[in-house]
Amino acid sequence: MTEGGLLVHRLRAPFGTAPGLEDISFEVAPSERLALVGASGAGKTTLLRAVAGLGPGTAERIEVAGREVGALPAERRGVVYLQQTPLLFPHLTVAENVAFPLRVRGIRGSRVDAAVGEVMEALRLGGLADRRTQSLSGGQRHRAALARAIVARPPVLLLDEPFASLDPVLRHEVREAVRVVQEGYRPALVLVTHDLDEAGTLADRIGVLLDGRLAQVAPPRDLFTRPTSLAVARFLRLPNSVPGTIRPDGSFESVLGVLPVQDPAAPGPGIAFFPADAVRIAAHGAVAACVVELRYRVQQTTAVVALGDVRLEVPLDGGRELSPGVEVRLTVLPGAVSVFPAP
Amino acid sequence: MTGRVARLAALGLLGLSAAAPFVLLALWSVGRDWFYPAVLPPRFTAQSWRDLLAGERLLGATATSLILGAGTGALACVAGLPVGRSLARLRGWRRHVGAALAFLPVAAPPIALATGLQFSFLRLGLGGTLAGVLLAHAVPAIGYGSLYFLGVFAVFDSRIEEESRSLGATPRQTFFHVVVPLIRRPLADAFGLGFLVSWSQVPLTLLVGGGPVRTLPIEVFALVQSGQDRLAATGALVLLAPAIAALAATRLAASRTEVMAV
Repeated sequence: MTEGGLLVHRLRAPFGTAPGLEDISFEVAPSERLALVGASGAGKTTLLRAVAGLGPGTAERIEVAGREVGALPAERRGVVYLQQTPLLFPHLTVAENVAFPLRVRGIRGSRVDAAVGEVMEALRLGGLADRRTQSLSGGQRHRAALARAIVARPPVLLLDEPFASLDPVLRHEVREAVRVVQEGYRPALVLVTHDLDEAGTLADRIGVLLDGRLAQVAPPRDLFTRPTSLAVARFLRLPNSVPGTIRPDGSFESVLGVLPVQDPAAPGPGIAFFPADAVRIAAHGAVAACVVELRYRVQQTTAVVALGDVRLEVPLDGGRELSPGVEVRLTVLPGAVSVFPAP
Repeated sequence: MTGRVARLAALGLLGLSAAAPFVLLALWSVGRDWFYPAVLPPRFTAQSWRDLLAGERLLGATATSLILGAGTGALACVAGLPVGRSLARLRGWRRHVGAALAFLPVAAPPIALATGLQFSFLRLGLGGTLAGVLLAHAVPAIGYGSLYFLGVFAVFDSRIEEESRSLGATPRQTFFHVVVPLIRRPLADAFGLGFLVSWSQVPLTLLVGGGPVRTLPIEVFALVQSGQDRLAATGALVLLAPAIAALAATRLAASRTEVMAV
């Protein structure tokens, strides 16, 4: 692996008395961002805590910056795990909090002041050095916790749902702080999130944790367009799925007609999944459908159309005027369909 | 209206029953030629206070009590903290059994505890020594301390310790740089509790200390028995001082909210 990153090989970790995580392996290169997504209880936090040495778990290898750390206690792993709620030390000022990792490493004097000053400046905490943590706003607390986490420049940073329970303004503020951290000294960063859009925006790769296993790890574009299993496709809640039949020649036949498939499955009943923008309204589309509902969002307005019992959500181009009951024609982008055998 | 009168009467009775013994003590300590049926002393004198400050007997006993109280308070913290913390980490029946064991020296009648300890301490050569009395006082004090810290750590957010470890602090650094500063107030309370357990202790001091170890309660007891009422009342008032100070400190602490963990 590249020196400076994180390697986890065949990690197992229990959830209480349940089997828990099984055979988890992944790598994160220095300066890379890996987002872990999964349903509640999938084991995301358990995984981070096991890697950080704070929770139970065994692995064939856990390497940090090329060094085996699986048998080391948490404080010697070179991994900082940031919990969802920023846990600042209430008996210390903001600057003393940020200096904490340096002081416990025996660093004193001007080196501490310089490092703390630099990181606090980068995270816009400059004027808050002498403040008590209780007087900080939510965003300031998150930024202070981030500053404290990175001041000793750990090779690996684990963020457990750093944006959960934040309002949109605060979420933006903390997200920007994470970007600053990442651009500042480029640690291998693993972050857990429930928000797929957030994962897609922030991460270089996304790992999907399902039923205690890492079902797929892929760049956002590949994951969102090419889920490798029905479970992942369902977890991603791709907006459009259509039942049909996988034909012997590998194509897929459904209410959308016969569609070519890049990675055909075995013939038989199947389900096709399409990314949000793979089905479009086009004047000369091959399939007729009826608009049943319009959905307005800040980013994109979509129309829900019906083809018999099947409902599809398709994007609306700017300026297109539609209303429920209108008939439209649909076209499917070639190669955008993922087909899996029906369960 | 009747309810209000009843409440006021109850409060008055409570105040009277709480204050009366101490008012009488104060009067006894300075009263002179005070005989029945006089409601108040006809004359006042500070002689007993001068005797207390000048005489070695009460002053020495006060010093011994202070040393024992401070030592017992320290032991209640040093031993009670790890025991209480360990108990707080147990779950289910283990915690119940552990708490019951910690409660045993607290719940046992002092005379029974003192008798048991006396036999053991005499064999260990600790009978009649200050160290023996200190250890004897520490037994119930550590019980109180353990139960107190069990309550403290039952609500202590241990994630903050994990945070510290993840940031590079060893368990020892985490304890001294994070946990101890966060439980300063409970530590002070436990010290005060241990101090008070020792300060007012009579059976354990009598049986384990025998004659040589003379504490203030022992001297007050002796003064009462020998009929030196004014000096006994003065010594009893000195005995009251730490309790009143502890009560005031508790009330003061209660009026200030301190964040123990995030």
